[in-house]
Order: sequence, then C-alpha cells, then structure tokens
Amino acid sequence: MSSDQSPGSDSKHRSSDAPLDLAKERETFVRSFLRKGVEYTELLLRENEELRREMAGIRSENTRLRAQVASDDAIRDLLRKIEGLEVERNALLERTTALDASRRKFDARQAEIELEVNDLANLFIATVQLHASLSPRRVVRHLRDMCGQLVGALGFAIYLVDEARESAVPVASEGLDPASVVAVRIGTGAVGDACLTGMSNIRDNPSHPGPGTLEDPVAVIPMMVEGTAIGAIAIVTLLGQKEGWASVDHELFQILGGQAGTALIASNLYQPSLGPVGNLRGVREKL
Amino acid sequence: MSDFSCLVVEDSPMMRQLLVFALARIKRLTVTEAEDGVDGLRKLANGKFDLVITDINMPIMDGLKLVKRIRSDEVHKDVPIIIITTEGSTEDRQRALALGANAYITKPIQAPQVIAKVKELLNV
Repeated sequence: MSSDQSPGSDSKHRSSDAPLDLAKERETFVRSFLRKGVEYTELLLRENEELRREMAGIRSENTRLRAQVASDDAIRDLLRKIEGLEVERNALLERTTALDASRRKFDARQAEIELEVNDLANLFIATVQLHASLSPRRVVRHLRDMCGQLVGALGFAIYLVDEARESAVPVASEGLDPASVVAVRIGTGAVGDACLTGMSNIRDNPSHPGPGTLEDPVAVIPMMVEGTAIGAIAIVTLLGQKEGWASVDHELFQILGGQAGTALIASNLYQPSLGPVGNLRGVREKL
Repeated sequence: MSDFSCLVVEDSPMMRQLLVFALARIKRLTVTEAEDGVDGLRKLANGKFDLVITDINMPIMDGLKLVKRIRSDEVHKDVPIIIITTEGSTEDRQRALALGANAYITKPIQAPQVIAKVKELLNV
C-alpha cells in the first residue's frame, strides 16, 4: 500500500473501481442472464410451439389412422355383410329356381288334371247320352257324335250285323262317299273281320302308312254284346288337326265297343206306345 | 248370383252337355241351352246374354244365319260370339268371322280351350 494514497482516495479508487466492475459485471451478468433467459424462453416457446404443431400433427394423424381403421372395419363389416347377402341371394335364387320348377310342375300337373277332367267329362257324358236314349235313331246319332265330335273322326261308318249273320250292313256314315259305304261279308275285310272275331283293329299311328280307306280304316271297333259282335264302327279318316290318338280315344273306343251294342238293343226293345212304366212289364218275373 | 249369362246353341245333345259341363267351371256364369238357331233366337228374344256360343252346322237355322241375325239385333248386336267349327270348314269359319263372330273353337272341343276363350271374351 503506498503512502501517497490517501485513505480517501484509496477508498474512492476502490469504491469507484470495485463497485463499478461489480456493477458492470452484475449488469453484464444480469443482462446476459436476462438475454439468456429471453433466449431460453424464446427457445422454449419455439420448442413448445413445435411440440404443439407436432402434437397437432400426431393428433391429426391419429384421427386419420383411427378413421382409416374405422373405415377398414366398416369395409370389413360391409364385405362380411356383402358375403352374407351373397349367400342369402344364392339361397333365394336356389329357392326361386326350386319354386319355379315346382310351379312349372304344378302347372303341368294342373294342365294334366284339366285334361283328365275333360276326358272324364267326355266319357261320362258319352256314356250317359248313349244310355239315356230310348230311340235307336238317337242312339245312332249319339254314336255319330261320339265318333265325330269326341274322337275327331272325319270319315266313318257304322255297321250292324244282319239277322242271318252273313254281312254287316251300314246304318250311318259321315264324311264318306255314300256309294262306297256298302254291306260287307262277315269275315271279309277289316269290318267283316271285326264282326267275326270281335277284335278291334286300331292303327298305332293313324296317319301311317297313309290315310285310311274303307278297306283299311284307321280303326275298326266291333260293338259287342255278351261276347258277340252285333256290328262295328269303322273310322276311316280323322280331322286334320288330329295328329294321333289321345288316351281318351281308347277309352271312347271301349265305350263304343262295350256299350253301344247294349244301348242299341235296349232302345230297340223299347216300345214308345207302352211308355216307360209299360216297358217294365215282365221285369219283376225275371228278377 | 251370376254376373254373366251365356247362350249355347248346339243341336247335338252330347256336345251341348259337354259345353255346359265346361262352362260350369266358370264362376258366376249361367248357361242357357238352345237346340238350333231358331231356338237360339227365341232365347235371345226373351233374355239378355253376355256371350253366345254356337255351332255352325245345325238343322232349321245354321250358325251363320244366327250370327247374322244377332248382329242385326238391337239388344244383342254387340254380344261376343264364339263359333264351333271343324278343322275342314275353313270357309264356314271365315264367313262366320266376316259376319261378326269374335272367335272360333275347333272340334273336338277341349274344355280348357273353351274356358280360356270365354274368359278372354268376358274379361274374367
């Protein structure tokens, strides 16, 4: 410590130096501290901002991913639903096809039944009409109707065996040249043969080997009574639209063959002058 | 109670019965029978019909004359007429259609065919 240094000046020097430095240092420090504080704060704020942005991005990404996951789930659900609907659709289609087949089957069956009912009605009406007549003329008329209207014969002739049982005599014909419809000898030709044997002769295919003729009719049906032929019906040609025999035709032939003779005999025995009750005379004695 | 009435004109009892049997399967349809054209006209004069079915070949008055008479009748001039013909009688059929018949059925008749035709003409 020097002597010229007054305590005042020394203290002044010291007080002016040291505090000045300290103050400076303090100020510098404080400034630096504050600056650093500001810098840190700014940095923190920036980082915070960045983090916010990042978080917002992550949130957004998260939302997007969630949406995607949800969408994927929805798609998976939809796919499952579509699959289920496909199965259902196929099952329904199968069911529809089965129902269609069933409906077609029922329609066909219904048509078949309709036809059967029609056939049965034809047979029933033919039989009833045949036996409801007490006039030989009306019985023959019914036979004509049965051949023409029910069987669909265009040309046909009805023959009765004469008393001597030598020939079959035509009693009615339609669609044929009357001059060509003549009596035939029993045992001769298709009609004569049917009257002799009592056997029907029906072509399998009426148009084969060609159209029928009186000598070779498409069908000859003997009219039988108790095992004896009392006449025959010769069907020579059929209506154009008739391509073949229907199943009911064979039933009609059976009626013609089995009941026409009886109907003719019964109607011939009936005496109109006696009336229905009078014609029962002697019945009780025969029972 | 019937809604429709039909007149069947046919000389053959067997055919008539067949037609009546077929028509009986149509609900609410009453059927009146006539033996020939004249009988048919008589029945038409005494009643109101929604449909007439007639054969062509009949004694006394045939189906063609009947169709002509019906078409000139004030009450029944618009009534639908079905004629019954055979395949061979194309000329008769054409004449009947020209005279005003609405439809035809060929013999041998089939009930389903008759029913379908009648239903078509009566719109039932």
